[in-house]
Amino acid sequence: MNETILTTKSIVKHFAGVTALNDVSVDLRHGEILSICGENGAGKSTLMKILAGDHPHGSYEGEILIDGQKQRFVNTAAAKHAGIAMIYQEISVELDLSVAENILLGILPLNRAGLVDWKQARMAATEALARLKLTLDVNILARNLSASVQQLVCIARALVRNPKILILDEPTAALTEAETENLMQVILKLREGGISCIYISHKLDEVFRISDRLVTMRDGKVVATYERAAIRADRVIEDMIGRKLEAMYPDMSGRALQDEVLRIEHFCVQHPSSAVKHIIEDISFSLRKGEVLGLAGLVGSGRSELLRAVFGALPKLGGRVFIDGREVHITSPASAIRHGLGLLTEERKKDGIISTMNIGENMTLSIFGKISRHGLFDRKLEAAAVSRYFKSLAIKAPSHRTAVTSLSGGNQQKVVLAKSLMTDMKVLFLDEPTRGIDVGAKSEIYKIIKELADGGLSIVMISSEYPELLAMCDRFVVIGNGRIVGEMAKAEATESRLIKLASMVE
Amino acid sequence: MQQQTVKRASFLRRGLGRLWDVKEIGIIVPTLVYGVIVQLINPVFFTPLNLANLLRQTGFVLIPALGMTFVLIAAGIDLSVGSVMGLGGVVAGFCMVNFGLPIWISILVTLVFGLLIGFVNGAFITRFNIPPMIMTLGMMYIARGAVFVATKGLPIYPIPKAFQAIEQGTFLSMPTIISICLVLCVLFHIVLTRTTFGRSVYAIGGNSEAAKLSGISTRRVTVRVYAICGLMAAMAGVLMSARLGSAQPSAGEGYEMNVIAACIIGGTSTFGGRGTVLGTAIGALFMSVLSNSMTLMKVDVYYQKLVIGAVLIAAVILDQYKREMDKKRIK
Repeated sequence: MNETILTTKSIVKHFAGVTALNDVSVDLRHGEILSICGENGAGKSTLMKILAGDHPHGSYEGEILIDGQKQRFVNTAAAKHAGIAMIYQEISVELDLSVAENILLGILPLNRAGLVDWKQARMAATEALARLKLTLDVNILARNLSASVQQLVCIARALVRNPKILILDEPTAALTEAETENLMQVILKLREGGISCIYISHKLDEVFRISDRLVTMRDGKVVATYERAAIRADRVIEDMIGRKLEAMYPDMSGRALQDEVLRIEHFCVQHPSSAVKHIIEDISFSLRKGEVLGLAGLVGSGRSELLRAVFGALPKLGGRVFIDGREVHITSPASAIRHGLGLLTEERKKDGIISTMNIGENMTLSIFGKISRHGLFDRKLEAAAVSRYFKSLAIKAPSHRTAVTSLSGGNQQKVVLAKSLMTDMKVLFLDEPTRGIDVGAKSEIYKIIKELADGGLSIVMISSEYPELLAMCDRFVVIGNGRIVGEMAKAEATESRLIKLASMVE
Repeated sequence: MQQQTVKRASFLRRGLGRLWDVKEIGIIVPTLVYGVIVQLINPVFFTPLNLANLLRQTGFVLIPALGMTFVLIAAGIDLSVGSVMGLGGVVAGFCMVNFGLPIWISILVTLVFGLLIGFVNGAFITRFNIPPMIMTLGMMYIARGAVFVATKGLPIYPIPKAFQAIEQGTFLSMPTIISICLVLCVLFHIVLTRTTFGRSVYAIGGNSEAAKLSGISTRRVTVRVYAICGLMAAMAGVLMSARLGSAQPSAGEGYEMNVIAACIIGGTSTFGGRGTVLGTAIGALFMSVLSNSMTLMKVDVYYQKLVIGAVLIAAVILDQYKREMDKKRIK
């Protein structure tokens, strides 16, 4: 049965000065999984927002048809009512409500007295989670869950309303391998149950795996639609970026490794949500000048916490840091920066970028001392520093006075990188450097990383994308249960070996 | 619906031209327009005597508001300014009347007191992670209580004539308080826009985690910001007691609300990261214009409160609207 359940016909959407969607027509067939691939700015999010009712009827041209009926969504509630459920990229749980309350948000069952029937609610919530093969105490506050479990709660919340159409926007961004696998199974099962899905993801291997059909978009237009059998990675990537992709990853060979530049010994870090557990029990490693070290491990294994503790951003229960052979005492990010460390965090929106400031101001946050005299900014020095990195990192923006929030993810990441580059860095910690960045921008970032490494900067990199980690790093340390469970050099490292080591923990 | 609002904004934007881009336009235009209306209703408005009074009134709100601007930009809040104002007047009074200290020493001691109270606010907020609203609320009661305990509820007077003369006199052919305000405004503007300290304040208010990870000492900057606010409040208290000729223990009661309103009307966001000296100055001016005009138009005092509240809400709505339009323009 391949009748069409959802159609968008000739959708045109303008924002002041920019055409986000230009005559977009897409069909979703009943019971299929349709993937939409495109870079940031291709228009996928805008299209999804129109389907979800975020951009109400009247703010765009064209039609939406469900089961042949024209739809006019005045708001998101109308879209939900029509059977469209949307899972957003940004996890939107109510942190201070319980799992049950989150799942049944807006539809808590009432008893005859008109009060909430908590027993019923708990049952319904548990059942919804069971559909996702998740067992969880539904009374826990969402705040205490990990990001990936919160995401699953969002999905349960959508499923509870029995939607006809499920739209998932980058659902696996914060999930581990195992959780992603679980989600894939769930989505396939939902399809069997008759739900039609639109799946948006940058992770092409996921997309290729579960799609029945695939639509590529670029610059607000549909480029091509592929049936499952006809999907080929290079064609899809070519559609997305408009040119042939030579090599995603740069050639990282040809660097001479020198003396040890960084050594950490016996680091012990408290678990962020538990007073008695240690997320990092005892970790020591060393890094040589010019080396790129990869930290592998499951999401939640404490890699980010380890680097943050070294950087002085998290308190440590124990551990010593040696730079160029001499012990240093790092008590705060300011002292870490003084000693030549840099940190690019996992979530730039949370703690990398100041959204109320412009590009130049964001870039110079760490070098006040260098561009000021007696506390007063020296405008010439500031302008020189900003324009230098603005150009060398090829940041796409009208000027350095542009608000940083108007940049794409990739360019925002460049701004955060510039902030560290401006300081005299010896070692750079990269935590998921290409998260939330589209294909074209990713390869730019990789090139920058290569240039930095060639220039003698030592790098420690955390990434959950194994192909990326394997391509960029010279050596790997696998972390699990708060300790190092394995080490290997590039030559002997493969994705399955790393995953196996990382997962061999309770 | 959205297309309509975009059209409306374009009309406004074209009409005002480049002025629309000035951050404070949202408050300058209503102030000017309103001033013209008032002048038409009661021509006494734009006379030297009335203007002088109006500006003086503005000064008493503007001085603590300058300090509050820093605190709000840093995403904090200081509810104790009203009490510190009262404390400022009383400390100065004690020094001059009870201890017979010279005027300048008394003023200095008072300013140090204000600085210290602000310092305590900031220190407790950063050290013990107390939400600013709660800490400064507690300080508001403590400071006010201390004032009443010390004065036993009685005003301190007479304030030495020489001291009164300073406030009631002129400096650079303007009432003293206005020249003080001008100097402070220029100074605070420079600090906010041209110094590393000012940039740090904006950074902490915009995203304190990001600021911390960038190497900015959020603790140090926060403490200083509250200290400055306390200092400004004490300064206003001193000037107020000079104006009144006595140090009233109840001086400044409820003033914190006027001060905060002035900042918000001037475009400073309580979420932090945004705000300007010019905006606060206009906000303070607007509030004085409002209450002055209502008095001239013989509006009942009780109604005045209603109006100010409504204006505050309208100002915030207008500012939000302008922000939304700006955001749409960038995307």
